[in-house]
Amino acid sequence: MKILTTVKKVVDVELNIHVENGAIVEKGLQYVINAWDENAVEAAVQLKEANKAETTLVSLGSGDNTDIIRKCYAMGIDNAIHIDDPALAKADSPTFAKVLQKVYEAGDYDLVIAGKQAQDTDAGQAGIMLGEFLGIPCVSNVIEIKVTDDTHIQVSRLGDAGTEIVDVTLPAVITVSDSINEPRLPAMRGIMMAKKKKITVMDLAGLGTSVEEIGGTAPTSGIVEFMPTQKRKGGQKFEGDPAEITAQVVQLLVNEAKVL
Amino acid sequence: MSPLFMTLVLAVGLAIFGRTMYQRILLLMALEPADRFNHIKDRLKNMVVIALGQKRLVGRKKERASGIMHALIFWGFCVLLIRSITLYGEGYVHGFQLPLLGESSILGYLYLTLKDVMEGIVLIMVIYAFYRRMVVKPPRLHNTWEAYLVLGLIGVLMVSDLLYDGARFMLITAHGNPGDLHYFNNPTFGQEFLWTPVTIAAGNVISGFSPVGLERVMVLMFWVHIITQLTFLNLLPLGKHFHVITSLPNVFLKHLGYPHEKIKLLDLEDESVWEDETLGVNHLHQLNWKQGLDLYTCTECGRCKEVCPTYVTDKPLNLHDFNDTLKAELYANADNLILRAKLAKTLTGDAEADAKTKEKMAVFKPEKALVGEVIALDTLWACTTCRACEQVCPVTIEHVPRIIALRQGQTLMQGEYPEELNTAFKGLERNGNPWGIGYDKRADWAEGLDVKLMADHPDAEYLLWVGCAGSFDDRTQKVSKALVKILKAAGVDFAILGTEEKCTGDFARRAGNEMMYQMMATENIEVLNSYKVKKIIAACPHCLNTLKHDYPQMGGHYEVIHHTDFINQLITDGKIRVKKSLAGVLTYHDPCYLGRYNEIYDAPRSILGGLSNQGLSELPRHGTESFCCGAGGGRMWMEETIGTRINVERSKEIVAEKAETVAVGCPFCLTMIEDGMKELDKDEQVKTRDIAELVAEHLA
Ligand SMILES: Cc1cc2nc3c(=O)[nH]c(=O)nc-3n(C[C@H](O)[C@H](O)[C@H](O)COP(=O)(O)OP(=O)(O)OC[C@H]3O[C@@H](n4cnc5c(N)ncnc54)[C@H](O)[C@@H]3O)c2cc1C
Ligand code: SF4
Ligand code: SF4
Repeated sequence: MKILTTVKKVVDVELNIHVENGAIVEKGLQYVINAWDENAVEAAVQLKEANKAETTLVSLGSGDNTDIIRKCYAMGIDNAIHIDDPALAKADSPTFAKVLQKVYEAGDYDLVIAGKQAQDTDAGQAGIMLGEFLGIPCVSNVIEIKVTDDTHIQVSRLGDAGTEIVDVTLPAVITVSDSINEPRLPAMRGIMMAKKKKITVMDLAGLGTSVEEIGGTAPTSGIVEFMPTQKRKGGQKFEGDPAEITAQVVQLLVNEAKVL
Repeated sequence: MSPLFMTLVLAVGLAIFGRTMYQRILLLMALEPADRFNHIKDRLKNMVVIALGQKRLVGRKKERASGIMHALIFWGFCVLLIRSITLYGEGYVHGFQLPLLGESSILGYLYLTLKDVMEGIVLIMVIYAFYRRMVVKPPRLHNTWEAYLVLGLIGVLMVSDLLYDGARFMLITAHGNPGDLHYFNNPTFGQEFLWTPVTIAAGNVISGFSPVGLERVMVLMFWVHIITQLTFLNLLPLGKHFHVITSLPNVFLKHLGYPHEKIKLLDLEDESVWEDETLGVNHLHQLNWKQGLDLYTCTECGRCKEVCPTYVTDKPLNLHDFNDTLKAELYANADNLILRAKLAKTLTGDAEADAKTKEKMAVFKPEKALVGEVIALDTLWACTTCRACEQVCPVTIEHVPRIIALRQGQTLMQGEYPEELNTAFKGLERNGNPWGIGYDKRADWAEGLDVKLMADHPDAEYLLWVGCAGSFDDRTQKVSKALVKILKAAGVDFAILGTEEKCTGDFARRAGNEMMYQMMATENIEVLNSYKVKKIIAACPHCLNTLKHDYPQMGGHYEVIHHTDFINQLITDGKIRVKKSLAGVLTYHDPCYLGRYNEIYDAPRSILGGLSNQGLSELPRHGTESFCCGAGGGRMWMEETIGTRINVERSKEIVAEKAETVAVGCPFCLTMIEDGMKELDKDEQVKTRDIAELVAEHLA
């Protein structure tokens, strides 16, 4: 089986992000591998360990993605492709999906594993769109994968009402939830050995496509402005005798908050 | 006596001994190198004080009786060594005397007395030792047949020599010296036997024997003594009594400067080390020869385990077994290790040629995996690196570096370490702190306190190193704030690094993750050096220790001062004044990395003495023998699932002393002891406070 996983490099959203004049302040930002993609990589590596599989990673974006790719190598990924093109700097989900489609078509894959969504945009579209563009099955929010045979897998997905078990014909795309696994922290030895592995870097032309073909010149959507989130006001703390406090709180709820 | 028989006995005895020793030395030479031959003067001093002076045996109050017992036996043995030479000489030359110690010199007579009295004392000590082992039975002792055999042999050595002399005395004085026996006789100093009361007593025991009987006793005792001595010599290298031979060299070769061998700065960029598994200790041959000598020298006295927080709380780490197991493994693989080392010497550095040699070397690999099979994982990860064991070891065995090297092998090469460490490592990697809180929030605690950043005030005289706990942990932030209050009150010119500070990497390094440590250290040193920082006040003993002792290996040289030392100096210099208004029973818990690693015992006590209106009361385990809180060596970030909890054990001790306030000087101790108190439901009665908080509260 040939597995393709998609890995996005995102801003570390756990840090405070500052906005000035409608744009994000670059200084002090930190970039990390999208957490759900780490789950996707882990899922791919686990499939490889349990069955015979070759795992390839693709990361799209302009700039240096070496550190996150090395990390995935250390986790056990076999090959890595980085599509590095300035045209991708302002791309939206459909554009990314189109590029992924090109990568998929160049490689003859059986299964694509993507993260459920990206931590930076929380869009959750790229993986599903890829399935649509390719005209192959797509299952989202997957929490378990079982290989049935060469052409079928069975996945569990977390639905609103409970867990759905879906039989999927390959090739297919799945997007994974963070409850599918606990990504491994690669062994130090793996990280050092990964330094020697080659990363295939190419631009859109190298991939045999162009900005026009992927619709990059006229994206369907774009970011107009960033706005900082309003700081939440601190709560009120009550201390002392429980009976008195209860009275106080009820008072406030009735008179000030007017919820009672 | 009989030159022929003497030659035979000596030849056999020494040949077997020589062969054993040769094997033992070859084995040490097969291990990794260690540089222990510098600063001879300091080494000799250690040897005189610790080994010859028996400092750690007689110096510990708790173990004084057995310490004195051992010291007397040891000193007795040293005295008797000279006597033995005379006896071997006697085997060849009738009336053999050593120069200066013969009958014409007062020294000869003085020596006779010394030897005589010491023999008596050693004999009494041997009887006391039997009594201790058989009746008192201290729990730290392993009662083995070897221990009894050796005690017995020592007893035989004393008795045989005393009876030999006693029989001689009787023959000379009571029977007119029928065999023309030699004895000291000098017109000025008098007769030999005037100087030897114990011998006379021994002679009286056998005074009923006829001259012929006495002569037989004398000859018999002579040979019993000689043969016992040679047997004893040959038994030594086989068991724990090897220390009789190795402790002097082991103490002489002990690490100088820092309390134990510093963790090796590993070259992680060298690709071959990752391929050849040469980082840390993964295999027996990766121990260095001094670590081998440590294993030879362990006396199995059990002092280390008795003070070890893990052993006391029923964890599987029992140092004395740990050493014993490693030693047994070393001996079991001795031949292979020696052969392997021979091959290793032929490595040329040429990859192709070496590949074949390495293949051959691989044949000599021990059957059992060093960690996992010989040493259990739980054993290896239990250690808090508190150094209590090393502090009490009478023969200066260094346990901690060996444990850390084994952990390096596990963490770097095998990727085997307690899972919980993952979160902390991830936090370090991403945000430079084990909690994994956003690095940009590192200086949030200082908001509104008007603390300058190094970036804005690069010429500050002192850098205040806050540490991760002081920056991110709610409780410890209060300590940081208190410290700022004190520094401001004293008008100290200081600044912090703010978001430019990262974890020093202490816990990562002691958990064997040298890579993560070097990542942290490289970035910190770069920042520190870019500001040309000279003086650092560290609010955490772990930071202090790493900045002060680890960073120089990587080009970071600073004067690092712990906050208690600094505050004490401020008080002494009159820069701040404190009120003696702290009420209630106050005690102090010595943090391991402050006390045993950096020998800061007095400054905290001096501060606390100035605060408390009823004086500081000491815990039973304090100072050099302080009991760990359980958080060192990365244990802060691992779960403690085996046995009872170390922090609770310590908290109980504090509660038992009826303390109302327990002062600490370390954020980990603060957390651990406070948690311990909560677990005992004593957190209302006993308050755990950092010294900085107490000082800030009692500023005059
Ligand atoms: C992991 C965890 C640890 C907790 N630890 C503590 C603790 O140590 N001490 C402690 O006092 N509480 C603690 N809580 C909160 C406490 O458990 C809940 O407040 C309490 O269980 C609510 O029970 P309920 O049956 O009244 O509410 P539910 O039936 O669960 O909720 C009914 C409604 O009540 C309201 N409500 C519920 N809880 C609160 C609340 N806390 N404040 C305001 N409105 C509320 C909400 O509108 C909610 O929709 C903890 C909660 C969690 C999840
Ligand atoms: S290591 Fe030291 S303290 Fe421990 S048993 Fe051996 S000699 Fe005694
Ligand atoms: S350093 Fe402390 S925890 Fe580790 S073995 Fe020694 S006494 Fe035990």
